Amino acid sequence: MNVFLCWRQPSWMVGRKRMRLPANFQWLLATFILLCLLSQVNSQRKGTPRDLKCTTDNLQIWDCSWKAPLGTGHGTIYQVCIDDRSHSCHQLEKANIKIPALSPGDHEITINSLHDFESSISTFILNEKNVSLIPESPEILNLSADFSTSTLHLMWNDKGSIFPQHSNVIWEIKVLRKDSMELIELVTFNTTLNGRDTVHHWSWASDMPLECAIHHVRIRCYIDSLHFSGHKEWSNWSPVKNISWTPDSQTKVFPQDNVVLVGSDITFCCISQEKVLLAQIGSKNCPLIHLDGENVAIKIHNISVSENSGTNVIFTTEDYIYGTVIFAGYPPDVPQKLNCETHDLEKIVCSWNPGRPTALVGPRSTNYTLFESFSGKYVTFKNAEVPTNESYWVFFEMIPNQEIYNFTLNAHNPLGRSESTMLVNITERVSPHTPTSFRVKDINSKAVTLFWRLSGNFAKINLLCQIKINKANSKQELRNITIKGLKNSSYRVAVDKLNPYTIYTFRIRCSSHTHWKWSKWSNEKQHLTTEATPSKGPDTWREWSSDGKNLIIYWKPLPINEANGKILSYNVSCSSDEETQSLSEIPDPQHKAEIRLDKNDYIISVVAKNSVGSSPPSKIASMEIPNDDLRVEQVVGMGKRILLTWHADPNMTCDYVVKWCNSSRSEPCLMDWKKVPSNSTEAVIESDQFRPGVRYSFFLYGCRNQGYQLLRSIIGYIEELAPIVAPNFTVEDTSADSILVKWEDIPVEELRGFLRGYLFYFEKGERDTSKVRGLDSGRSDIKVKNITDLSQKTLRIADLQGKTSYHLVLRAYTDGGLGPEKSMFVVTKENSVGLIIAILIPVAVAVIIGVVTSVLCYRKREWIKETFYPDIPNPENCKALQFQKSVCEGSSALKTLEMNPCTPNNVEVLETRSTLPKIEDTEIISPVAERPTDSSDVEPENHVVVSYCPPIIEEEIPNPAVDEAGGTSQVIYIDVQSMYQPQAKPEEDQEIDPIVGAGYKPQMRLPINSAVEETAAEDDIDKTAGYRPQANVNTWKLVSPDSPRSTDSNSEIVSFGSPCSINSRQFLIPPKDEDSPKSSGGGWSFSNFFQNKPND
Amino acid sequence: MQKNTSTLLQTYLQHQGSPFSDPGFSAPELQLSSLPPAAVPFKIWHALDDGERLSRAQGAFLALTQHLQLVGDDQSDLNPGSPVLLAQLGVARLRAQGLLGNVAAIMNALGLPIPPEEDTLGVVPFGASAFERKCRGYVVTREYGHWTDRAVRDLALLKTKYPA
Repeated sequence: MNVFLCWRQPSWMVGRKRMRLPANFQWLLATFILLCLLSQVNSQRKGTPRDLKCTTDNLQIWDCSWKAPLGTGHGTIYQVCIDDRSHSCHQLEKANIKIPALSPGDHEITINSLHDFESSISTFILNEKNVSLIPESPEILNLSADFSTSTLHLMWNDKGSIFPQHSNVIWEIKVLRKDSMELIELVTFNTTLNGRDTVHHWSWASDMPLECAIHHVRIRCYIDSLHFSGHKEWSNWSPVKNISWTPDSQTKVFPQDNVVLVGSDITFCCISQEKVLLAQIGSKNCPLIHLDGENVAIKIHNISVSENSGTNVIFTTEDYIYGTVIFAGYPPDVPQKLNCETHDLEKIVCSWNPGRPTALVGPRSTNYTLFESFSGKYVTFKNAEVPTNESYWVFFEMIPNQEIYNFTLNAHNPLGRSESTMLVNITERVSPHTPTSFRVKDINSKAVTLFWRLSGNFAKINLLCQIKINKANSKQELRNITIKGLKNSSYRVAVDKLNPYTIYTFRIRCSSHTHWKWSKWSNEKQHLTTEATPSKGPDTWREWSSDGKNLIIYWKPLPINEANGKILSYNVSCSSDEETQSLSEIPDPQHKAEIRLDKNDYIISVVAKNSVGSSPPSKIASMEIPNDDLRVEQVVGMGKRILLTWHADPNMTCDYVVKWCNSSRSEPCLMDWKKVPSNSTEAVIESDQFRPGVRYSFFLYGCRNQGYQLLRSIIGYIEELAPIVAPNFTVEDTSADSILVKWEDIPVEELRGFLRGYLFYFEKGERDTSKVRGLDSGRSDIKVKNITDLSQKTLRIADLQGKTSYHLVLRAYTDGGLGPEKSMFVVTKENSVGLIIAILIPVAVAVIIGVVTSVLCYRKREWIKETFYPDIPNPENCKALQFQKSVCEGSSALKTLEMNPCTPNNVEVLETRSTLPKIEDTEIISPVAERPTDSSDVEPENHVVVSYCPPIIEEEIPNPAVDEAGGTSQVIYIDVQSMYQPQAKPEEDQEIDPIVGAGYKPQMRLPINSAVEETAAEDDIDKTAGYRPQANVNTWKLVSPDSPRSTDSNSEIVSFGSPCSINSRQFLIPPKDEDSPKSSGGGWSFSNFFQNKPND
Repeated sequence: MQKNTSTLLQTYLQHQGSPFSDPGFSAPELQLSSLPPAAVPFKIWHALDDGERLSRAQGAFLALTQHLQLVGDDQSDLNPGSPVLLAQLGVARLRAQGLLGNVAAIMNALGLPIPPEEDTLGVVPFGASAFERKCRGYVVTREYGHWTDRAVRDLALLKTKYPA
């Protein structure tokens, strides 16, 4: 073997390189060959043939070869004897032999080598197991390419005829790319031999367009024969076949206009003579894959869905751009909601929803084919527009006499196909067109005929139609009818049970009798049915006129469903046993007639007439049967209704009538009436005319044979309201301690409900007091009397105080609420005895004091002159003040001097906690009595010039809360002159406690808050400050510590005078010095009031 | 009309996908052999006599009307769901035809011979790939604008020569 290789190699080398090597190297080659020959010669010495090796490529002929003995060469003859059945021997000149395949088992092969008369014998044991099966290398019959799909097609022959059947063959195919033969694909492919030569096909789709580079293919095989026990080996590779693209157009980029599935990987290449600078898909750059020459490729992974015009792939060279478009989309979705129906039994319309959009449009969009398998017919549908989610539909002509259709809807686009199927009995899928030419024709007043037209061939089925009947103010009615179907024809149907003279609106729709879908409703048609005679006479009532001579007959217009047409007129007739009076042709809007009747026993009949005829007469007796046992009852409605009930009366044979009217109207009064059957015992009266707060009268009549009897008379309200006016009341009489009040009734119209009583309030109060407080505030000082006895019209209020103003209020009430109030102020008369005493006693005392003083002065005139009016007065001995003091102490005689311009004054303190005596005339009873001497808080106060004036001032004065008495008190000044201080400032007022400010003004206007102000203005205040009595002592403590008086101890507080000082003006003149007057006691006394100097 | 041409070009490019629809897209290297380019050296243009100038415009707009029809057909396949684009292409073709008629009328008025109508497209364009269709549509809409601009200049020059 070594020799063989050694020999062959040089020869190959020579063969290849002979033409190229220079001549001077030939001697080297010759030398090398010589060396090989020498080597062979040496080996011959080794002896016999050896290494017998057998192969087969068809299992029938074995090709055995062996190695010649060393040292032998050309001219060696071999005798090969095979120990088989024939024991044949073969003479050979080569070291190999082809022998028929030997039977299984060992066979002895003897090879005798004869060379130069030397012989050497070798014996081999040959078994099939030692034989190798090496098939012939396969031959590629054809290699072709489909460039549009980038697919290679390979064809070869398996030469199966020379092998036993059922042998398995494994083929191995290699695909190589580019000039450099890069291995792209190595696939195995299994076949089975069938005893004949068979051509096999194999296709391979390239991921790269085949135009991009040259592709090579090789093939080899391996035969796995079951009957051969020897060694099996792969055949040699077949010779290479290749495919390359020869440019036939300007197109440079591949693939062109491909449609691919979204998400797939795809390779693009550009065949270019120039260098490609850039490749991009859309606007995204891609890395270049270099192929042979300047050709390049790019690989796109997971391509995304394209827009309508596709995804652009562009290769840019120095001076041009090349490109292609790829369309990435989806295969068609399964058509959804496939539905086939017919409108006319002539054509079937099938509709469906395309499902998911494919993103492919135009020539690449989905084509649909609707195939009917029984008839074998089909229709196609192509929607080149952008797919939407709307339904698509196609028409399919119906096949005569075929009812069952088996439809298959195929959808296909370049990426795939899908289908939906539907088996349908078309007679059960009828959805008729909308009925047209719909019209209505009268039959009579209660029936009409409807006509309509329906296009379609319904001759073989029945139609179910639905009529919608609408009537004003009534629920719509649906009626179903079944009619025999026709072909493109008009249909008619009668509709009965209608009302005369009524506007109806009709519509119609149809479906097949088996009902699958209704058609749309037809246009609506409005129709007025014809008139009929009125079905009932009008509801009638009668009233006697107030003079009892005329009978007024009332009737109500007939409701539309009883009038059965337009009522033109009424006939009224009154008949008795002897005579008949009639009024005929009373035109319609009039619903009342008056007839003069001599007696009251008539039967009145009223007949309504329309264009067709007259109604049955409605009759009513004119007689009123008297009823002595009648009383007026009261009733209040519920909501908008009034319920009247009564006991059943067997005497009432026809019916009951309730009539009512506004009770304020004059007789005969009739608003409306209502008839109820004789077996009822109640009636609910309801009317839009009822208004709350208006009194209505209701009369219940029972009907007997001969006439009507008034059974009950009732007044009532739908709803009670509060009175809108207050009762008018006057004061009949006043005394010192009582008032008599009298009031009048409220008119019914203003009462607005049933009067339930009066509320009478009274309190002390004055007319012009700003504080007229609400009566319902629960004030304890208001006294209330509830008068529920409606017959009572007067009220005496006792236990009043004399000479006091009272505020009186009266209100009426119903169940609807309280009416407005009416108020009045009344002053009780004064107690005349007390007044006389109050005037006489001071006058008498004053006269007595005056007389005594005059007598004393006269007797002691010399001493007086010496003492008081000496010729040369000694100031140190001046006792004038002492005199004054002594004179004034305990005496009020001088006051009378000042009283001349004044009328007596009254000061009265009311409702103090402690029962205070009535104070009349401040001259007599000074506040000393009222002021306890322990009122240590009282500080000396500025004196007040009091000038009372006559006008009567009625003021309600609340006592300050801090009043020692603790309760409220009312002070009424009569004939007291204004005491307001001119210097009282509004600001000061505001600083004072509001309660104080609201009351007794002269006392309150004290500049007491600011010490600065007080000290600055003290003089003036002393001169001008008015009357400052007992009120509001606490406010006096408000003086600041800077005030001279604030330093005073409690014991130094000077009591302050009372209003009685009006009688002695000179005593009220304040002292000129700044020293505050001091008081030895906490309280104040009348004498203190005159102390202008401290302890003089 | 000049404004409409640029609108047409913008609308057209927007419907062709990236990179055509990218802002600032321009590919002057793309030309169509069947459509004469409007670009011409100013000196040569100015030196042309009226008949030559008008007959070139006339020939260009004759080619443009045919090409706009072709582009409209192409876009019906590529962008069937874009009525705006298709309508604009139709309007542009009508305008080009109108301008063609006007130029012919002017040439008639000036007593110039009108070149015979010929099929500038021939049989070549059918079977073009989608990319080629997009590119030629781009060239046609671009040249339509350029030729419109040039026609305006042509007519303005003519107007100065023949006032009123």
